[in-house]
Amino acid sequence: MSGVDLPVGSNGEAGLDGDNVARLVAATKTFGEGDAAVTALNNATIGFRRRQFTAVMGPSGSGKSTLMYCQSGLDRLTSGHAYIGDVDVSTLNDQQLSVLRRSKLGFIFQSFHLVPALSARENITLPVDLNPDAEVDEDFLAELAGVLGIENRLQNLPSQLSGGQRQRVAVARAMIPRPDVIFADEPTGALDSKTSGELLAYLRQAVDDLGQTIVMVTHDAVAASHCDRVVYVQDGHLVDEAMNPTVDDVLDKIRELS
Amino acid sequence: MIKRTLKLAWFKRNRYALTIVAIALSVAFIVSTLLLTTSISDVGAPLQEAYTNVDAVVTGPEVTEADGPQQALAAQVPVQVLNQLTAAGFDAEGFANPYAQVINSDGAAGGQDQAASNVARPWLGESPLNGFEIVEGRPPVGEGQAAIDVTTASSAGLAVGDAMSFVSDTGLQEVELVGLASFGGADNEPYMSIILLDSQHPVLAPGQGYDYVLVAGATEADVAPLTPGLETRSGADWITSQVDQLNNFLGFFSTFLTVFAVIAVVVGMVIVTNTFTVSLAQRTEELALLRLVGTTRRQLLEQVVIEAFLLGAAGTLIGIVFGLLGVNALGGFLDLLGLTIERSNAISVNAILIGMLVGIGVTVFAAVRPAWKASEVAPIEALRSVDVEAPGASTRRTIAAAAAMVIAAGCLIWGVSQADITFTGVGIGAAFLGLYLLADVLIRGTAIAVRPLLSRAGPTGTVASRNLQRNASRTSAASSALMIGICLISFFTLMAATIGQLIAGDSGQAFKADLVVQGIGNQPEPALNDETLEALAAVDGVDRVVPLYQTSAVPADGVEIERAGPGGGALGVAFTDVEGLELAYDFVVNAGSLDDVTGNSVVVDQLTADAAGLAVGDGFPLTSQAGQVDVVVGAIIETSLPGTPQPAIIGDVELAESFGYTLPATAAYLVGDAEQGDVSTAIDLPTIEVVTADDYIDGLSSNLDTILALVYALLAVAVIVALVGIANTVSLAISERVGEIAATRAAGASSRQILWSLLAEFGLLALVGIVSGLALAWVSAATFFTTLSDGQIGTPETDLVTGGLIITGGLAAAVAASWFPARSASRTDILDVLRAD
Repeated sequence: MSGVDLPVGSNGEAGLDGDNVARLVAATKTFGEGDAAVTALNNATIGFRRRQFTAVMGPSGSGKSTLMYCQSGLDRLTSGHAYIGDVDVSTLNDQQLSVLRRSKLGFIFQSFHLVPALSARENITLPVDLNPDAEVDEDFLAELAGVLGIENRLQNLPSQLSGGQRQRVAVARAMIPRPDVIFADEPTGALDSKTSGELLAYLRQAVDDLGQTIVMVTHDAVAASHCDRVVYVQDGHLVDEAMNPTVDDVLDKIRELS
Repeated sequence: MIKRTLKLAWFKRNRYALTIVAIALSVAFIVSTLLLTTSISDVGAPLQEAYTNVDAVVTGPEVTEADGPQQALAAQVPVQVLNQLTAAGFDAEGFANPYAQVINSDGAAGGQDQAASNVARPWLGESPLNGFEIVEGRPPVGEGQAAIDVTTASSAGLAVGDAMSFVSDTGLQEVELVGLASFGGADNEPYMSIILLDSQHPVLAPGQGYDYVLVAGATEADVAPLTPGLETRSGADWITSQVDQLNNFLGFFSTFLTVFAVIAVVVGMVIVTNTFTVSLAQRTEELALLRLVGTTRRQLLEQVVIEAFLLGAAGTLIGIVFGLLGVNALGGFLDLLGLTIERSNAISVNAILIGMLVGIGVTVFAAVRPAWKASEVAPIEALRSVDVEAPGASTRRTIAAAAAMVIAAGCLIWGVSQADITFTGVGIGAAFLGLYLLADVLIRGTAIAVRPLLSRAGPTGTVASRNLQRNASRTSAASSALMIGICLISFFTLMAATIGQLIAGDSGQAFKADLVVQGIGNQPEPALNDETLEALAAVDGVDRVVPLYQTSAVPADGVEIERAGPGGGALGVAFTDVEGLELAYDFVVNAGSLDDVTGNSVVVDQLTADAAGLAVGDGFPLTSQAGQVDVVVGAIIETSLPGTPQPAIIGDVELAESFGYTLPATAAYLVGDAEQGDVSTAIDLPTIEVVTADDYIDGLSSNLDTILALVYALLAVAVIVALVGIANTVSLAISERVGEIAATRAAGASSRQILWSLLAEFGLLALVGIVSGLALAWVSAATFFTTLSDGQIGTPETDLVTGGLIITGGLAAAVAASWFPARSASRTDILDVLRAD
């Protein structure tokens, strides 16, 4: 395996034993060719455990976003494997990837990316509505809307919502199909600290109360401190990880890495 | 300023690519048309040159005036008038222009394919009235020789020394081709194919008289005393009128082409407006940012106008290049349709300048309003994220649309009830304007109406209908552009179907005769002489030959017969063997009896009887080529024989002489069960064809079909420009939605679902334009025909199959145009969008 790249001791945590919902095995991703080639992921191996809230951290250009995109099937690896459950996403075609996204994955983006023509409710139920075999679980929808505090805004268009409300709609949209894993890419990047704090609390609650698995790419130590586990990426591979990190632990580590 | 604008425009070059295509297409069309029309404008020059020595001209009085492509019908100059003029010492020559059509070296009929354009003329030698000059070989002498013009010789594949045949009223003539002639310095007389014969050749015998007599060396004042009751004019006048007549026909054609070029430009302008409206709306943030850093409104406006200028210039340059190439394509296409336009190769600088002016002017003009609106943007907009525009239609626009519709209804009702074409025209114009303004309301309405249906296909259907509704005010212009194209195509289709019905009557089933014999060509010559008719009668299985002699006449002064149909006021007259006609054709006789139709008793059809208030036994005067003729209604039939024009009056053969008609028959119906092949063999003349009754009916509208094919081809340019507009709208709309498409893809929508959603949205947009266009065309055609025919023609010939085809075809074309931008959007890489965050 890729143990040579990892500090002793972290391999056990990062490795593939245990109950992994998503995992990367010997994952390499190169952009460009020849002299201009940039290796964003370099033979990285990592697993993400069920019911865990994991933060992926690292300096700019460390490959943390690429790691998330390849793990979720949005991007393809140059070599190696990306699994969701037992499915190797690199073997799936566009149609199969679409089905995988609508049923097993959820996404939350920094810029929300809601569909402007659809109401908040329609945006939330989008993944379920796209799936001809699924029906919206109205109780779950009501529960989510209640927890996220958007139960009175469901009929509004995104343009009629505040930034925080839009991101909560995006969270509900990610959670509604009860996906195996939610990938969040800098979800608090566009929010103020109060709204950020509320959002992270919701995500924490989703893991604790609903058993959700969340992988969050962030550069915010406060955000990482809400997680069960934080993994550090540098130069395209995993360099360290920690369980139940504090803000100070994270800041120290980041300083060390940069 | 210019540098920055150039930079910004270059940055958005992809967004503008399709707009440039639309401008280029419009400009190419208008430049080709102008080049073609200017190159044909000096086509009368050889006439001026050939007839410089003509000082006076004698013609018979005109019976009907020339009407567009329809030639004037004039009385003839009696033979003795020429004799008197010659006896009085004038240098005069008479021209009877008898039918003479050359046979090509391959045995097919040659020369020109319009009526009265294949004629024989005398070789006048040294006479100052000789417009021809032998350029190769020698002049014809005696009955066995002929010369022809250079153009006819080359198209017929004939050379000096060849044995040549031609067909005249008296049958097939065999001669030796001894010379090639030029006319007024050109290779031929415009639109004529001339066989020059010895002046004593029997084919040139004047019969009843001459079309015109040319006189040299004497003024019209000298000549006039010898020509009472005839028209005597100066040579210059006559030449001018000949050139005018030619230019009239060509002018009709030029106007025709120019109208379609203008339509393409208007559609192009709508597309440019649309592009700027959408693209500026999308750039609100960028424009606001420029305002924020201190750009004035005026500077902003200037920037957009410069951008439009550059866009217009780029499209125009490409358009001019294609226009220069396209003029030959257009000319070639007209040749293909048999509408040969004789033209020079001169390139008109004016045409290019006008093309530039139109291309750039229209683009800048179309950009000004959206630019003005865009410059109103508040700097604060740069700091706000603007996701969705107001969903409602503009109230002002809706009120204006409603007002236009009310005006349209009023004008149309008044125009139709008072038979006032001006009101009907204004009404149609107002209806068009109303629909144009109403387009966004219609699109919103459609979006809401189809939403339940689309939603069943899932959220992508809902998104399609919501986006259609949301963007209606921006995208409605694309729909309107398509509306213009579809409306015009449908209007002409309805018009052609209705006129076709007028020509053919309901006679598809009415023929009892199986075969019809006629001269070939677009407008059949009177080509069936007595000898041919006898030969037909002798064919096995032919029981009776019913000849048809067709001419026209006008109601005499004081008689009003406003009969609907083509013909420009002249009434179609046919002489035939009425007794035989009853065997060949199944008439519904409404009054009187066909048995009574002898002498000056005639059959009229119900349309004529109604128009003139005629009943059986009523007499009325007509003015024919030979003067006034009094006829009496012997019978009234429901529908007349097919023909162009459809004969309003049918008389017995013996009446022909009093109308001055001395030519061979134009057609003959064959009663009996003769075989088509046997009949062809018996005649054995390439200038005569034997067709089934069904083919005969089809052939009658072939001129109409040719014109219609031309109209379709010209309108196709406008429709293509409109489709480019749709494609443009799709790609512009999509460029704004990459984020939302990526989000939908991330939520699990497959690229097929995205593609479907986009095609549904833009297919519906096109559908609104197509259906509006069809509806407008139907209303226009119905009111237009009713007004022009004073109610004789009511609803146009409506063909649901054709309507269905137009909708399906238009929709398929629009979906095809949307396909590429929609497909590439459906494959949006989600990552590209996320990385841009």
